[in-house]
Amino acid sequence: MNKINHDQLLSLEHPFVKVNVKSPSSIPVEKYRSALKLSQKHIEKEISNLTNTITEIIKKSAQGNVDAKQVEVALDAIITRLSTLKRKLRDIRAEESLYAQRTKVRLQHLEEFLSINSLDSDDFARWSRVRLNRILIDYMLRDGFRGSATLLAKSENIEQLVDIELFVQSGKVEQALMRYSCTECLQWCNDNKSGLKKIKSTLEFSLREQEFIELARERRTREAIAYAKKHLTPWQDTHMKEISQVMGLLAFPPDTKCHPYKRLYDKSRWTDLISQFRSNNFALQYFTPEPLLAVTLQAGLAALKTPMCYKPEHRNVNCPVCDPNMLGALATELPLSHHFNSSIVCKISGHIMNEDNLPMALPNNYVYSYNALAEMASLNNDKVTCPRTGSVYDISEIKKVFIS
Amino acid sequence: MDKFIKDYDKIIKKQHTLETNDPLDRLISVVKEAKEKIQSDPSSVNASLVNLTKSVKTTSSGISEEFKELQSLLSKYSKAVDKTFTGDMMSTLSPHAFDNKEHILRNTIATHFIRQGNFEIGDKFAQARVSSEANITVPDEIRHQFMEMFEIVAALKENNLEPALMWAMRHRSGLEKRTSTLEFKLHRQRFLQLLEAREVRLAIAYAQKNFGHFGNRHTQEIMRLMCSIIYMDHIHTSPYADLVTPNANSDLQHMFTRDFCSLIGLSCESPLYVSCTVGTQAIPTILKVSALMKAKKTEWSQQSELPVEISLTDDVKFHSIFTCPVSKEQASETNPPMMMLCGHVICQESLHKLCRGSTKLKCPYCPTESPASNAKVVHF
Repeated sequence: MNKINHDQLLSLEHPFVKVNVKSPSSIPVEKYRSALKLSQKHIEKEISNLTNTITEIIKKSAQGNVDAKQVEVALDAIITRLSTLKRKLRDIRAEESLYAQRTKVRLQHLEEFLSINSLDSDDFARWSRVRLNRILIDYMLRDGFRGSATLLAKSENIEQLVDIELFVQSGKVEQALMRYSCTECLQWCNDNKSGLKKIKSTLEFSLREQEFIELARERRTREAIAYAKKHLTPWQDTHMKEISQVMGLLAFPPDTKCHPYKRLYDKSRWTDLISQFRSNNFALQYFTPEPLLAVTLQAGLAALKTPMCYKPEHRNVNCPVCDPNMLGALATELPLSHHFNSSIVCKISGHIMNEDNLPMALPNNYVYSYNALAEMASLNNDKVTCPRTGSVYDISEIKKVFIS
Repeated sequence: MDKFIKDYDKIIKKQHTLETNDPLDRLISVVKEAKEKIQSDPSSVNASLVNLTKSVKTTSSGISEEFKELQSLLSKYSKAVDKTFTGDMMSTLSPHAFDNKEHILRNTIATHFIRQGNFEIGDKFAQARVSSEANITVPDEIRHQFMEMFEIVAALKENNLEPALMWAMRHRSGLEKRTSTLEFKLHRQRFLQLLEAREVRLAIAYAQKNFGHFGNRHTQEIMRLMCSIIYMDHIHTSPYADLVTPNANSDLQHMFTRDFCSLIGLSCESPLYVSCTVGTQAIPTILKVSALMKAKKTEWSQQSELPVEISLTDDVKFHSIFTCPVSKEQASETNPPMMMLCGHVICQESLHKLCRGSTKLKCPYCPTESPASNAKVVHF
């Protein structure tokens, strides 16, 4: 019952590990992979450069117009170039080992989890706390609480387990979009061209459309047409309908009430762009489209939710769903938990009643656990008081209840 | 997991060799060598250059081979990760359940931090968005209460029981109503501290002064404590070893936190922590069922209820659930649990069906027969 199913829980750590592996623009393994690719590219370029130079010198010396001194100078130049590149690559290399290290730390974190055997253990509680902090940081980063996220990661010493850097760049792009500027986001599209193509993103087209709309808004018709020629036409195969619609703006002023144009001019299109950018960015990083906190919390609240949670007389302070102002309010739209088996909780002690702690009925048909009643009786001359009705009985009057 | 770590270690090792045996250094040394040769023997320019071309070629092909190897290790590893970590949690999400409830969620998070004693983060989080949306607020009262609590816990950690004792005495009546033994446990701990410090005289004086109030409730315990004095020199091998367990302090902290929270009407664990921990355990089951239903192309008919039972650990079962053993339905106000004379409980509707008009009722679980009117609604 309280055994951990490691495989099941581990499968949930997909984004946690995967983000390390696959994300093309940032973060551990794939960041590592791309850093590696970059240094490889640099080195290969330098090698071909080197070969060319040498071939040239050979050619020249074959013609007899180079002396040994000149060759030495040329070779020295090559050495200098190689040393410069070496310095340049040092930064990339530092990055490589940072990400390599980070992936390792995460794998170790998951391995630690595998060594925990029971859901009741302190180790599991500790692991759960770290997991909660991880998903809280994920939530805070997505919603722009970067300061709090950084502070939390630092104070809990889990910086290696979260992806703060990833949001620094995307935060900049989002802020730019909030200022009605597409430039940064277009740059981002360019940097992630192949990734975006793979997920069939239309973000770049939407941005181009927006820049066109802004020109149309300012009635800079001539520029708008030039812009459309240059930046919209490449999309004609797939987006002809949208292009012709957006071109229609030239005929309508920004304050038009006419249906499709009013919507195109609407500033809320910028908010849509932000969310489009976000979802594309998350998809590229192998992040879940919605915060993990929402998913986890929903599953947890649904598993805990009972019809009793919303009845004041059955309220249990320890039950998260019973708080009508906080999590209870959050859970209103969620399904209730489902039960094939009875589980009876003692209203006095909060403990489960079972073979080791039998359910006992008082003469007024209120049921409590044997242990709780026995303890109460031992302190009160064998008298027990029903906490819900106030009636007092002798301990000998209680009767076993059979719950099958 | 082991395999991942091993594979990853290989990658790191490979990278390390690439680092210590820098390809650029190799190239530089090849070029340098050629240069030195030319310097020492200017007539060999042509031959050395041809040589150089050759060695550059071998070095560079060696380098690209090494890169290729590392890249392929990485992509292999990445594919293995794809295969193992397959959960797609998004299918369990009710997309609109939290709509327009952002501020509730944020208040919950801010309160969570306060409850964890992370006041700095709680405040920073609460203040982050003051301008744009509804303010995140944690009532000052809760804040102050938790500050007090964490101060006392911090003192407890340092084996300073004084603040906790002061608090417990101030709230004696409330604690007693909850049948809490906190105050006695604190006195008991202080007494044991004195004994362990071999301050027997002080310990006895302390017992005389403080144990009196607990004479009725904890007679047995007090007798054991007083008797432990004579075993103090070898207490760990005596029948009183349980009095000095190393966990005593953390148990006391836990007990204090629990009683403190219960007295101010709050749960002893942060609700956010409880929900998320349960959620983490619930998601795999929900995922499995939703995948099964997808495969069978059945829809889950009761949207208002989860399609599957999530097994909870005992500490997060907060409400009595009675499922009728006959009808397998959950008891409700209109269909309450009824106890028959023999003590077996079934739901009212099942009971009526079993009677089928007769006034006599045969218990489905034991041979007892009793008048149906004798069955009583029980309250759990």
